[in-house]
Amino acid sequence: MNPLTLAWRPFLDPLNLDHAWYLLLVPMSFFLAMGYKAVRTVDMNRYWSQVAIFTFQMVIGLIGLGAGFFVVVRILLPALAPMDR
Amino acid sequence: MPETSDNQMNFTAGILALLLPGAGHLYLRQTRRGVLAGVGVLGLFLGGLLIGGIDVVDRKEDRWWFLGQALVGPLTFAVDYYHQNMLKAYPLDPAEVASGRVRADRLAQLSRRTLMPGEKRVVKQVQIFTPTRETDAQGHPTERLAPGRSVKIAYAAPAGAGEGPPNTKSIGRMNELGMLSVTIAGMLNFIVILDALFPTLLPPSGSVRPAGGRP
Repeated sequence: MNPLTLAWRPFLDPLNLDHAWYLLLVPMSFFLAMGYKAVRTVDMNRYWSQVAIFTFQMVIGLIGLGAGFFVVVRILLPALAPMDR
Repeated sequence: MPETSDNQMNFTAGILALLLPGAGHLYLRQTRRGVLAGVGVLGLFLGGLLIGGIDVVDRKEDRWWFLGQALVGPLTFAVDYYHQNMLKAYPLDPAEVASGRVRADRLAQLSRRTLMPGEKRVVKQVQIFTPTRETDAQGHPTERLAPGRSVKIAYAAPAGAGEGPPNTKSIGRMNELGMLSVTIAGMLNFIVILDALFPTLLPPSGSVRPAGGRP
């Protein structure tokens, strides 16, 4: 195990998850959906399904944004304005 | 019984929601909504602290982010107070602090900062000396140090073996994600506060909102 992980003190040190930072977007989206749907859902019997759908929509939206920016930055811009190397 | 009359703001619910996420809805007897909203806001807040460490809440170094984070309520201010006063330290010369005498003008120029690896936080009782300009018998300007109050001061000292800073400064992606999570918690709580503040938008009882009221 990484020695940095062994020495990690919760709430005092940052997580050593730079290699998998994108996984943290899922719990963030989940808690955001929980709070938002708690005050916006009309029928609370459908609360958890609404939370699941909203979480899914946010994660898919973020992936879509990431893919879109990847295309712009890595493909479109180099094609439109190639840089001399 | 909480006031739930139409066309009125419920200040009590709004203030309670500001003090503790979800408390406004609990006051309005929307127990389930209050608990779930509180879990959502606090989950984002504590999750952000867990991801980026306490360094993500810093009213001195990240002022604009702190404005959003402050919407979580007194909890943010308590975390920031602990961060500023219990973890940061003045970058004073250890020899100067060891002498027990610190100049007030020098201290005023410094601000507390997060300690780096290889440093440790030491608290020491020192006496603050205020410099005053005077003129001697020959008319030359001189400086006299007037002893002031005795205070406890935290400073950054070199760390020995097995010692280190009380917390780690978060940088890069973890700092960005942690700060973003705590700030989103604040903005989400703003929605929750507004929802508690305007009870006319809340159902009078039970968990089902009036038809045609809200999306």
